[in-house]
Amino acid sequence: MAVLAIARDDVSAEFFDGTARGELLLRKCLKCGHINAPHIEACIRCASPELGWQAAGGTGRVQTFAVVHLRGDPPSRLVVAKVGLAEGPWIDAQIVDVDPDQVHIGDEVTLDFETPEGGEAVPVFRIADR
Amino acid sequence: MPGISRSPAIAGIGITEMSHRVYGRSSSQFAADAIRLAAADAGLEIKDLDGLLINAGITQGVGLALSHELNMVDLRMLSEIQAYGSSAGAMIQYASMAIANGMADAVACVFGDAPLREGTSTGALYAGEGRKPSGFSALPLASGVRGAPVQYAMAARRHMDKYGTTSEHFGHVAVSSRAWAQMNPRAQMRDPLTLEDHQNSRMIAEPFHLFDCCLVSNGGVAVIVTSGDRASMLQQPPIYVRGWGQTHPGYLPDDSNQQGLVSGAALSGPAAMKMAGVSLSDINVAEIYDCFTFTTLISMEDYGFCEKGEGGEFVASGALAPGGSIPTNTGGGQLSSYYMWGMTPLSEAVIQARGQGGERQVGQHDVVLVSGNGGCLDHHSTLILSSHEN
Repeated sequence: MAVLAIARDDVSAEFFDGTARGELLLRKCLKCGHINAPHIEACIRCASPELGWQAAGGTGRVQTFAVVHLRGDPPSRLVVAKVGLAEGPWIDAQIVDVDPDQVHIGDEVTLDFETPEGGEAVPVFRIADR
Repeated sequence: MPGISRSPAIAGIGITEMSHRVYGRSSSQFAADAIRLAAADAGLEIKDLDGLLINAGITQGVGLALSHELNMVDLRMLSEIQAYGSSAGAMIQYASMAIANGMADAVACVFGDAPLREGTSTGALYAGEGRKPSGFSALPLASGVRGAPVQYAMAARRHMDKYGTTSEHFGHVAVSSRAWAQMNPRAQMRDPLTLEDHQNSRMIAEPFHLFDCCLVSNGGVAVIVTSGDRASMLQQPPIYVRGWGQTHPGYLPDDSNQQGLVSGAALSGPAAMKMAGVSLSDINVAEIYDCFTFTTLISMEDYGFCEKGEGGEFVASGALAPGGSIPTNTGGGQLSSYYMWGMTPLSEAVIQARGQGGERQVGQHDVVLVSGNGGCLDHHSTLILSSHEN
């Protein structure tokens, strides 16, 4: 099973405008320049609430992951990870097109997007070529 | 402690009937029944209670109106408390402060929930199926982080990767809990469980098997906190609330994140023991919040019962089991007895501290540590309970 359809709300509208054009927008602090995760409301480093947007470069590493077993006919598995982006922030995302038994903490991953029917585009990752 | 003139003590406990299949009763009815049982246990009437703290579970089915259901008038303290699985410990803490400062004389702390419905899987309920997800909070859901098992599986994986902890280690926690549960008439899961059974149980979210995950129950538990002086004149032996602490780690989404490596017990535990004037070696019994086997393992490490990273070997040694060096989750915990959030470890702690554990009663039970945990290791509470005031 792939990514679930979700909707935008007022707070996340700019973020999903970004995913629609193939960008993962992160929150850049306008005061100290620190790069924060997309949902952050105040800079983790300097506490300023004045944040802009900056697109992620699209690489990161698997910090941890779980392999979710889905009952169904046939049963399936999906890989959910916390990905540490090269810029610093961690985000929860699915690792797609991978044998779940071949995922390891520390694996390098690259960004892509999936757009389920009726939902916003959502960031996913693929294991980078080894 | 300066300014505190009245030592808080637990005088009553009420545990409703619970099973996998108690349908047709509301969360609020369970909560009201639990309070009636707790009052009767203490030898008090409902009208003797002048404080009420309420923790609603996942279905949010209990609120301030509970005071009306019980015809309580002129309460001096009434609130809902919500810090998920750490709420029970938190309620006892707030009630203890109210007692110590004379704000109230007898405070009922209650949890009630009825998430199980005929024909609905509990996994679906806890994963929030049927609610329309939107915004940033929906991103993890979209990605497959549906329900606590997935979050805790990710946390546990970090511990395994860093410290060499294994699924078999987790299995030892499940086996130990079941061994205790077999001696608890209230426990829902009393069939024998072996390490092999654990390893053969179906996968939920790797690295977790089914038997790494807790039960879900319909029911209610209430505890009455009063002053030690008053409690000593009532029906049950007073159980003093000697020390407490909370920690809310606030794991940040960056490389500073220790979720799965260090829990709130690391700060909350020493704070509670310091307040109680006890050290780790004084603790006879540990009642640890065990939504998952891993939660027990990391909590025991962070309380200091073993070195950091050695939790796997520690639980595999049989330390937690009947006859072990630190009897833990002596009623079977949430894994095998009943799932009432933080009331599960708290209720068993009171039973053990009083010496009312029957077949499973631990010989030395002067000082009992109670651990609460909520979110994905996001909220932590600790209580030190004792049959002695000092």
